[in-house]
Amino acid sequence: MKRVFPLFLGGITLVLIILAWFTSGGVARREMRQANTPEQAVRLMLSQIQGHNFDAAYARLSNRGDVDKNAFIREFNGSYGSLLTYSSLENFDIWGLHSSDQESTMRVRLHYSTGVGPLDDVRDVKVQKSGDTWKVFWPVNNATKLPPQVIPVNYLRWDVIGRGAGDEWGVQNVDTPQVRILSMNAIQRPDGVTLVGEVVNEDSVPAFVNVGATLLDHAGNEIAQESSFDKIAHTLLPKQVSPYRIDFPNMRMEKIKNVRMDAKALLAAASADPVIEVNQQKVETDPLGKKVLSGQLTNEGGQVVDIPHVIVSYYDSNGKVVWVSDGYVAQPLLPQVPVPFAVDLPADISKNVQSYHVVVNHFDRVSS
Amino acid sequence: MKALRYSSLLIIVAILLLSVVAYHLRAAADNEVPRVQLNTDNIAPRPIEDLTSKSVPRDYALAWQTLEQALEENQTGLLDGYFTGFAKQDFTQRINSQLKSGLHTRYTDRGHKLEALFYSPTGDVMELRDHAQLDMQILDGGKVIYDEPMNAEFTVLMTPGADRWLVRQIQATSGEKP
Amino acid sequence: MRAVIIAAMMCFSGVSAVASEIHAPAQVTAGTAITIRTSGSGDATFYLVGPASASKTKVQAGSNIPIDSDQLEDAGRYVAALCASDGCTAANFFVKPAAANKLSFLVHPSRVPVGTPQGITAVAIVHDSFRNIVLQPSPVTFSIMAKNEKSVSAARTSENGVAWVRLTSAKKGGPTRLGAAIGHADEIRVVQQVAADACNLRIKASRAKRGFLVETEPVHDCGGNPVPDGTVVSFTESDAAGKTTVDVPIKRGVAKIEMPIDGSAKITVASGVVTGNELEVTGGQ
Repeated sequence: MKRVFPLFLGGITLVLIILAWFTSGGVARREMRQANTPEQAVRLMLSQIQGHNFDAAYARLSNRGDVDKNAFIREFNGSYGSLLTYSSLENFDIWGLHSSDQESTMRVRLHYSTGVGPLDDVRDVKVQKSGDTWKVFWPVNNATKLPPQVIPVNYLRWDVIGRGAGDEWGVQNVDTPQVRILSMNAIQRPDGVTLVGEVVNEDSVPAFVNVGATLLDHAGNEIAQESSFDKIAHTLLPKQVSPYRIDFPNMRMEKIKNVRMDAKALLAAASADPVIEVNQQKVETDPLGKKVLSGQLTNEGGQVVDIPHVIVSYYDSNGKVVWVSDGYVAQPLLPQVPVPFAVDLPADISKNVQSYHVVVNHFDRVSS
Repeated sequence: MKALRYSSLLIIVAILLLSVVAYHLRAAADNEVPRVQLNTDNIAPRPIEDLTSKSVPRDYALAWQTLEQALEENQTGLLDGYFTGFAKQDFTQRINSQLKSGLHTRYTDRGHKLEALFYSPTGDVMELRDHAQLDMQILDGGKVIYDEPMNAEFTVLMTPGADRWLVRQIQATSGEKP
Repeated sequence: MRAVIIAAMMCFSGVSAVASEIHAPAQVTAGTAITIRTSGSGDATFYLVGPASASKTKVQAGSNIPIDSDQLEDAGRYVAALCASDGCTAANFFVKPAAANKLSFLVHPSRVPVGTPQGITAVAIVHDSFRNIVLQPSPVTFSIMAKNEKSVSAARTSENGVAWVRLTSAKKGGPTRLGAAIGHADEIRVVQQVAADACNLRIKASRAKRGFLVETEPVHDCGGNPVPDGTVVSFTESDAAGKTTVDVPIKRGVAKIEMPIDGSAKITVASGVVTGNELEVTGGQ
């Protein structure tokens, strides 16, 4: 009896070690040392990127001569304080598209865990046979860079001097900006109720805006309270319009009698720069078969935009806002360099979409 | 014998626990939120919003609760929650001088009837009249030097804060009609 | 229990030879010195507790106790108590506000679009020199002094210590001064009157390096006031490649942007909820 317990404990420990080895990808790593198939080549390279073993991952490329190693690393680690600099590659999915004896095309979906939530990046990757093994042909980033120059920027900037803490009540002060909710539409979604709409800064100064909503039941009691959180462009310049979306998970429309909306605005220091142009916007189906609104962002200013955030309001034929979606862009916006973006649009809603309005919000290390 | 020893120990622990609970319940009862009724029939020029008509009496009651505790325990920090401006300055000064003199003020609050008089068009200030029923005791250390029930009347200015209404000025009046 | 002790103390003081007494005036004006009369004899402690003060001093029962004016600046209820060997006796009195001499002057908003009816609100809360609210009706003079225009005044009598007016903003943009006066107080606030929404928003397009340069004509409101720089104008262009939108702040009175255009395109403009004209242009690849 005395020996059974230590043996039992030893057995449990062994099982746990084996489980840990499996879950940490030990099997996959062992299998992947030799890339005998195109999928293995891609999987091996991505596993090494996941483990921050960039040298080994780079060594798996068939076109190392054309691909700059630092540029390759920056594609996964980010640059200029972009979203990828605050993220890690959590996992990835791989599946084949075309295959022949010498060349194959694989589609990969990279799941990043970022400071603002999960981020997916879908890419088609070519894999070429080189002797006995398969190697990844990494596309060369040919993005044009603006030549060194001085760009004069003379847009307005607003600073705020408020009333001091010690000042007497009633002395001259600057009021908070006037903002107005232009529209609100409550939609029942499978996972809850969503409020979508638009808010405008009606004032002549910038505003830091947040929209909140309280749901009231038939007896007039408050049943839930939420805010737009990051589904809004918080800093609105004078007369700027932003979409907003407020999600109430696990809520049913039948429970709601009334909605109390509350747009809060604060005076905020802001700059009218940079102006970001949104080109080639169109609703299309992405390689995974999902409806997306895609386009290109172009930073018209001279300062790098670290984390662009795209928010889109979709309208039906009556001009009513029927949905708001948003997405963070992994790459920074360098001056004058177009960067693609795509934000999801639910398939059932896309049928009713007649037009849309894109707003670009941005977060920077220096200012936001 | 052993069982008896354990059960007596248990009883002692239970008695101690019950006395702690009883002490806290008494303390809580002492420091109840006062009853406040708000009458907005004569409010002008801005009509009062539903939410404001609920938050003003609630916050005024909490202001009195904290004021009573602050004046009894001579703790100025308690004023931070519901007082601002002149009201906070005055009560802080009062508590500091109470501390210096070794005095305390104890109130037994029997309720407040608030009458809203003025609500500014932009909603940034409200003037109210409070008909309060209070028992006031002034103590020097443990010695009661003054004890009197009173029907007091206060003119109150309240202003909205970030998430509550704050008492900005509170001034006792002799009840004379202006 | 407390009541019993106090009753006992009172009984005890009743049987003593000379009972201490205290006499305070029923009503005092804020900032006025007074004397509190006491009777009795022997050492005693005098307490004065007011809205913002509490003091304790050693006195001789039977003497007159002077109270300085600075101890009676806060309006409200005061308790004066005298405790001697025979127990405690107390009197309470009210300090009423002095004459109106100060104002808390609240003016909203600090920015207002031109020509907004009843768009400016001025509220004056009447105080005496010691910041007490003066509940007696007092005349407050409000005045508005627009730039290059004659000052206009209106008098209002305060009610419960409050006087207020509502004003319509001027037709022309720029700062305007609002004043309120009572006694020696003359408070001034400045309200910035800004252009209202854009009116007749119009755009024009010309060929440029990257496509078309689209720009607005100088943006004004319906009263001819220039819409302030920094106000966002949204350009939308639709062509074969899709839609292009860009929010451009007005700079030196106009908003402009260069847009790539593929084939024929339609360009529209808006600022806030105001829409402007529509242009149709044809560009090259």
